[in-house]
Parts: sequence; structure tokens; C-alpha cells
Amino acid sequence: MSSVKSPALTSTDQDALQSAVIEVCENAYFVFVEPCDAPQFSALVEQVRAEKGRGPSGRWLNASVAFHGASTGEVEVVLPERLGTWLVVSLLGLPPDAVLKDNQLLDGVGEFANMVCGAWLSKANQTASFTLDMPKVSRMPAGWTPDSAPSGDGQAYRTVVVNDLPLEVRAR
Amino acid sequence: MQTNSSETAGMTPLNVLIVDDSATMRALLYRVVGLADLPIGAIYQAPNGAEALKLLEKHDIQAVFTDVNMPVMNGMELLREMAAHDEWRDILRVIISTDGSRLRREEARELKVSLYVEKPFRPEVVRDVLCQIASVDVH
Repeated sequence: MSSVKSPALTSTDQDALQSAVIEVCENAYFVFVEPCDAPQFSALVEQVRAEKGRGPSGRWLNASVAFHGASTGEVEVVLPERLGTWLVVSLLGLPPDAVLKDNQLLDGVGEFANMVCGAWLSKANQTASFTLDMPKVSRMPAGWTPDSAPSGDGQAYRTVVVNDLPLEVRAR
Repeated sequence: MQTNSSETAGMTPLNVLIVDDSATMRALLYRVVGLADLPIGAIYQAPNGAEALKLLEKHDIQAVFTDVNMPVMNGMELLREMAAHDEWRDILRVIISTDGSRLRREEARELKVSLYVEKPFRPEVVRDVLCQIASVDVH
């Protein structure tokens, strides 16, 4: 089966990306999501940076899922480790102070990205079938922070607030 | 593997197999299945279709919940293998996947999948699926 690189993403794709994040957070994780603009996102990133030194809160996780099919591309989710931990704890119904093993955290955040990617593809292209690669999750270097703007054309980009913490998602 | 001794009067405990490469999803489904107000016998888990086949050969299983995209052997390949075994014809098949495309759903229907649950899902959806399973004679 041949596949083609995704064409430039439309505003509908952008909206679908935000809807996908909201759907995953609210249906699977029972958390409320609010869209946020660039200044608000930057302020929250700064807040996360200021929390450095209190456990894992200052580090960021990057989870990406590549997809193939009618088109090919990738969905990437960037979030503070503290939010990742909180999402996995919430999904599994663990006590709020539960300590996750590293592989639990990375697998859980990868599954979050997997669901966002699947939900976005379903919304953006309801007829085509896609194959999703295994999620790749990495911990960003200490001191790293996300850009608060899309880095180029041809990508959908959204920032949201989940449980008072910033989350960035992009598709390309 | 979980075993649950609390049986509902007159109902045979269900043995369930959960197939997903994500340990998080397996843990979530394990929890949801365990919380269902049904007589659950054993809950087996496999990270891919190939491991699931080994468990199917070894144990008496009444319901399979499987993901689609998995390494080694994916969910559709697992279902094709199951369809080729007459002794597994009565096992109820449920897909839980991020891939909700029409093409995949049609393929699933041809492979005797009873229910197709798209991720993200609310836990009560899986509970309802189990109740539906329990309401029919699986033996």
C-alpha cells in the first residue's frame, strides 16, 4: 500500500486536534480541559520551571505516535512529568499519592498519546484506516521547556490546560 | 491472573482474556473487568496476539478483549487465527482500539467480533459489554 505525506493541515484539522485531546481527557481520564492561548501557556510553563526541585515536576515528557495509511505523519504530546504522573494515576484509579514505576509512567503517557492520535485521525478522516506505530516516550533534558508556538507550516498545534498544568499537542 | 470466587447464583464464572501491548491499558481493563458485578473466573493478559493464542490453547476462555495495533501479532491477525479454530467459535470477541475506521469495523464484523469499542472509552462501556456477555449462554 502506498502512502503519501500529509498535505498541509487545515483549520478543521486544528480544531479536531483540540477536540481529540478534550475527548481523551474527559472520557478516559475524567479531567476537565481548557484551551489556552500562547501567553497563558508561557506563564504555566514558567510556573512548571519554578517548581523545579520539587520531585519530578520540573521535567517534561515527550510522547509521539507515527501513523501510516491514506496519509502519513505523527502526533506529538508534550507535558510536564507531574501531569503525566497524574494522568496515569487517574486512569488506573490509584491513590493520588501513588508512586509510579518509570515504565508505568512512560507506558501510560504513551497510551495517552496513542489515544489522542487515534481520536484525531478518526475526527480528521472518518473513512480512511490508519496504522499507528508504537508510542515513543522520552524525558526531556533538565531545564528544557516547550515552544509556545507552532514551529512550521503543515502542522496542527494546540495548547491546553489540564488540571492547572500545560499540555501541548501537535500533528504533522 | 485474577480469580474471583464471588459467583452470582446460577451463573458460570467468565474467564476473560485481555490482549493489549500497553501494560497501562491491560491494568485499566483488568480493573474494570474485576469491578463488574459479575462472576469473573480468571482474567488472563497477553501483550500481543501470539501470546494470546498460547493462553487460548491452554485455558478455557469465554471472552477476549483485544487491541488492534500490537507488535508481533496484531489484533486482526489474532482474530483470523481464532476464526480458523472451530473449538473457539463460541468465544465472544471484543475489539478495544483507537482505530475506529469504517474499514476496520467491517473487517471486524467479518471476523465475528461482537462489539467494537473505540478508545478513549468510559469504563462503564466495558462493564456493559460484560453484562451483555453474561446475559447470553457462552457455553
